[in-house]
Amino acid sequence: MGSVSVEDIDVDFLALIYDIIKCVERENTESAQAKRSEFQESSQKIQEFHRKLDVTRDQIRKLPGIDYSKEDQIKKLEALRKQLVLKKKLLQKYKDMCALEGVKQYLNPSNAN
Amino acid sequence: MSTPRGLSTKEKLLGIVDDVETIVKELLETTIAQKQDKLSHGEQSQIIQLLMSKNDDFKSTLNLACEQQEIDQKMLQLASEVYKHDQEIQMLQKHLKEADTLLSTALFQAKQKLDQIQKAQTHQVGSEDLIRFAHRISSTNAVAAPATWAPGDPRRPYPTDIEMRMGLLARINDMPISQVLENMAPSTRGGEHQYPNFTQQPWYVASSDVSSSVSSLFANIPEPTVRGNTNHDDVEVMSTDSSSSSSSDSQ
Repeated sequence: MGSVSVEDIDVDFLALIYDIIKCVERENTESAQAKRSEFQESSQKIQEFHRKLDVTRDQIRKLPGIDYSKEDQIKKLEALRKQLVLKKKLLQKYKDMCALEGVKQYLNPSNAN
Repeated sequence: MSTPRGLSTKEKLLGIVDDVETIVKELLETTIAQKQDKLSHGEQSQIIQLLMSKNDDFKSTLNLACEQQEIDQKMLQLASEVYKHDQEIQMLQKHLKEADTLLSTALFQAKQKLDQIQKAQTHQVGSEDLIRFAHRISSTNAVAAPATWAPGDPRRPYPTDIEMRMGLLARINDMPISQVLENMAPSTRGGEHQYPNFTQQPWYVASSDVSSSVSSLFANIPEPTVRGNTNHDDVEVMSTDSSSSSSSDSQ
């Protein structure tokens, strides 16, 4: 599954909707022969509009990082930060374990006091 | 139209696309409809306003998605860092566990050594006694054969037939199992070691007795006639001796 960015999504629906409405309105006013060609054009544009909506839906489904609301996402980010801090502390604790205190005191008796 | 809290941005965007589709459908229906079925001008403009607002919503939600993508990148970085720290912690824990095992083994061995030292200090044996004991067990060649030992030599390189008969193994068939077990582990009873009584050991037999018993064992063996068969005869002598002892064991 290729990842999609927000810039890839075409947000310009209004122009196409405007074209469709214009075609449909012309269809109502013109003669029978012109009507047929306008009908074909408008149905083609409607098909195109549907295709565009489907493509947009697919792109939205592929967008990464939008599975949560922003508030939830920020909460998760904070939780991760907290987790990282705790893990760093734990690592530091392991590295300065009391098992080595005796050796430290033996090596640097002045620092220990 | 207010969006419900807790709805994911993906769901919001898909919802807006669905809304746009519905509004456009409504708009087309009212455009195609006959004059009497058509919506009023105000209603139509309301629908168009709604479409416009949905379009704005879509754009703003996409901006939100863009921000969320940046947050997602940060989250991925943090998650990878958390994973790295996890790995490091696991490795440290593994090393600590190994060190713990090694140290506890060393401690156990050191305690055993200390016990042994204490035991040795409470039951001290004088050097003279040790030398006397060493002399006793080595004077009869009971521990190691003399360097010049050869078949026929009365000095013994192994337990003699008499000693084997006096031992526990010779009498093992005549005794009940409980008595055998008792005899096999006498030192563990009472928590104290029983030290061997030197004077009762079979190796304390005087060397003259040993030599006489060994010479009597070898008395029936014919003298080798061919020099080339020396090795074979050695084996014969050894096997004869062992067979005699084993036959005496079985009696």
